[in-house]
Amino acid sequence: MKAIVSGGIALAALFSATAGAQAADSLTLQLKWVTQGQFAGYYVAHDKGFYDEAGLDVDILPGGPDVAPTQVIAGGGADVIVEWMPAALAARERGVPLVNIAQPFKASGMELTCRKDTDIASPADFKGKTLGVWFSGNEYPFLSWMSKLGLSTEGGAEGVTVIRQGFNVDPLIQKQADCISTMSYNEYWQVLDAGIPADELTVFKYQDQGVATLEDGLYATEETLADPEMVDALARFVKATMRGWAYAAENPDEAAQIVLDNDMTGAQTEAHQKRMVGEVIKLVGDSDGTLDVAAADNTVAVLLGGGSDPVITKAPEGAWTSAVTDKMKTMP
Amino acid sequence: MSGVLAVAAVIAIGAVFLLRWLSAIAAGAGSRWLNLAIPLIFGATLLLLWELLTRGLGVPAVLLPPPSQIVARIVASSGLLWADFVQTFMKAVLIGYALGCGLGFMTALAVDRYPFLKRGLLPLGNFASALPIIGVAPIMVMWFGFDWPSKAAVVVLMTFFPMLVNTVAGLAAAGPMERDLMRTYAGGYWQTLWRLRLPAAMPFVFNALKINSTLALIGAIVAEFFGTPIVGMGFRISAEIGRLNTDMVWAEIAVAAVAGSASYALLALAERRVTFWHPSQRI
Repeated sequence: MKAIVSGGIALAALFSATAGAQAADSLTLQLKWVTQGQFAGYYVAHDKGFYDEAGLDVDILPGGPDVAPTQVIAGGGADVIVEWMPAALAARERGVPLVNIAQPFKASGMELTCRKDTDIASPADFKGKTLGVWFSGNEYPFLSWMSKLGLSTEGGAEGVTVIRQGFNVDPLIQKQADCISTMSYNEYWQVLDAGIPADELTVFKYQDQGVATLEDGLYATEETLADPEMVDALARFVKATMRGWAYAAENPDEAAQIVLDNDMTGAQTEAHQKRMVGEVIKLVGDSDGTLDVAAADNTVAVLLGGGSDPVITKAPEGAWTSAVTDKMKTMP
Repeated sequence: MSGVLAVAAVIAIGAVFLLRWLSAIAAGAGSRWLNLAIPLIFGATLLLLWELLTRGLGVPAVLLPPPSQIVARIVASSGLLWADFVQTFMKAVLIGYALGCGLGFMTALAVDRYPFLKRGLLPLGNFASALPIIGVAPIMVMWFGFDWPSKAAVVVLMTFFPMLVNTVAGLAAAGPMERDLMRTYAGGYWQTLWRLRLPAAMPFVFNALKINSTLALIGAIVAEFFGTPIVGMGFRISAEIGRLNTDMVWAEIAVAAVAGSASYALLALAERRVTFWHPSQRI
């Protein structure tokens, strides 16, 4: 009896020791939208074992129409989120202490796509037209742009009529809106798939209009960043994530397949995902994950220049940190 | 923190004792004032506890704002709330409610008159009621556009079936003795309907009207999640929650609650007048 008990204790100690040695840091990542090529880097890093090699056990939570990542992290449902800077800064002003730790997307993919037969040739022609916007945190760049153009969003002949479009391109196809918001990697191609050829569309890229804001970035709370072990884990996470993006850039079709394998809804198609991964790679560019502070300041300037309805009322302090990316660069 | 919890516990226990004492008095010699005071005190205590716990325990405002912040927001954004109320309630809800209940009522009369419709139409009504609003709303937006007509269409779909079923049941409620009496008076179909069967059906009809008032408000608000101009209660709730302005969300919830309660109370009042003869109104 005594032998069995002591043997059992020894065995338990052995297991716990090995378990302690192999204990991976677990992180929960909340994506900004549903599983799709926009997040190829994360899924590639997960499925190709880059996170495992970095000693991380990453749980990727897909988002969706009713999931606001800032809310999820405010409620403690995630350690790190993928979010756009305007929404993150707005959340920070409302008391959620989010801090940008990395910026995988260098360029902005947001566009306003109009039908050519609405005779909109330049932003000055927006007056009196109906424009579709997503809301749920995605309306900030649009509101800043309208403010910059001096157009009221209340409607009427001197302003623009804004409708809240669902997450589809129906308003353009049904002619319920003259222009709709599209992402260069997603909805734009849905419009083409729906049968409207590219030569019947006029596209305004936010990047070209000078009102682009930083999009997919990684954010964590100040509380998380106060823990050095978490900073270390996040640094490994960002490094493995950028490895994932680099792999996706070299193997876009395989990355698209990995995204499809992770899509629980079965709603995504291979052709659409391959296209999306191809377009998103362009937005990531040669980013190594480090946030370009000049670009961040530019985003803040765009948001503060919101005029009558500014997205944020004052310049944010401590809204981004290089602590994680600096630590990442010291790693082999 | 323990201090806050202790104070909250004291208030809660004190309120419970006060309410029990008042209820005992009301049970004995109930006065109207007392019947009003008890729920008011209960509600006030809940609000007080809410305020105390959110402020005292430092609950982040993005998760649960204190009532004082919500009231401040209601006052500050009253113009916006009124515009949303007009868009959702006055346009989508009222018009959809009138159309849906009217349609249900007319269909019930037709079903009663022509038995073959009972076999054919009633199951279809059953089917229409089972359509999930989340699936129907985007289709309505595609058919009727982004503005309030699509929301009214959703409300019509939701209110049609309860009204149909309740009216059909109500029309069968007049007793056989009374119907025989009308026959001996040589009353025709329409006379019997107007003088006997419709008044007898009123308790059922009002039942449906009260159910539908709740459904209509829910339907209109949820339908606005799927495509709307940038005004309306459903739009405001979903847009402001995306911006983490939870106090505005609660302000809209409060407006919706007041609107729903007020319409229910109006219907209950009308019911008391119309169905004064019914045992439920004579207690």
